[in-house]
Amino acid sequence: MCLDDALLNSYLDGELQEPWKTQVEEHLSYCNGCKLRLNQLKELDKTLKSASLANDEIALRSQRVLEFFENNRFDTTQKTSFFKRKVQVNLVPALLTSAAAVVVVFIGSFVLFGSNNKQTSEILPEVMMPIESTQVDQVSAVEKTSLEDYSLSEIIHYLDSQGYAVKLEVKAVNPLEDTTKKED
Amino acid sequence: MKIQSNNEHDFKHMYEKTFSMLFRVSNNIVKNPDRAEELCQEAFTRFFDQAKVFPSENDAKYWLIRVTKNLSINVVKRKTRELKMIEKVKKEPSYHDKTGEEVLVDDVVCEQVMDAMSQLPEKLRLVITLKTYTDLDYKGIGKTLNISESNVKVRVFRARKMLEKILSQE
Repeated sequence: MCLDDALLNSYLDGELQEPWKTQVEEHLSYCNGCKLRLNQLKELDKTLKSASLANDEIALRSQRVLEFFENNRFDTTQKTSFFKRKVQVNLVPALLTSAAAVVVVFIGSFVLFGSNNKQTSEILPEVMMPIESTQVDQVSAVEKTSLEDYSLSEIIHYLDSQGYAVKLEVKAVNPLEDTTKKED
Repeated sequence: MKIQSNNEHDFKHMYEKTFSMLFRVSNNIVKNPDRAEELCQEAFTRFFDQAKVFPSENDAKYWLIRVTKNLSINVVKRKTRELKMIEKVKKEPSYHDKTGEEVLVDDVVCEQVMDAMSQLPEKLRLVITLKTYTDLDYKGIGKTLNISESNVKVRVFRARKMLEKILSQE
């Protein structure tokens, strides 16, 4: 009696245990029909196996994925310390460079686009002429808020308007100067 | 030999032994080499990050194949859902470096086999995929898929029978 497919499949996969294995081999040695059938099954298996990617392409992908693990999983402590050292050395110049770049870009953008733009001219103060030294004096005199800058009558007038009754007394006999002095 | 999955030596050992078979299994399910590569990376990432201890190399291998298989099936399921939604079924371009006639023959065979495999019910397809593209024996396949060894035997036999029939029709 000839071998059935189930048996041949098991034999092909090397899953047949010993007493049966020898029997199958013995049968195959003289039965051409079964031999042919076994070869067909082998061919089928080969066809199925061939429908996969070649080894060298898989090797390429394997290498790529392994690199991922080399970089992300293995020996991370060693690699970080090396990385950190590198960063520390480069940090200051890198910051300076980027700061300079930001400034250049910022100024450059105004130089290139700012002057023609109505919006930016609204935002930015207009360029002023250099101020002369005499004008500086006048400006600073106006800005001073010390009591000395006001006359006595102005002070009295102000206090009066605030509801204070002010009594003036002369502290020392010096009639020429006491118009600018005050006591309260 | 015990396998500690986040030990670099053990990891590399398992990686060398199993990457190409995991890749073949995944590619056979998702039918896209780039996606298969991503999925293999994901499987190995989980393998490493979960810091498991396997009593033997084979146990680690079963685990890896099981995870890769499940990830791949999930991708396919998600993808078919998406494809159904947009009703735009388009075949992924196959990725090959070869030139000339070799490509033509290979592509035809490849397509036929992929096509024939996809016509099998999932139970048979997984078993024959593992049998064909990994070095697992019936016992290993049974452990990976949580089915009995004799069940594997029957499924391999049925799958080959069906594939033979489908391929001879084309």
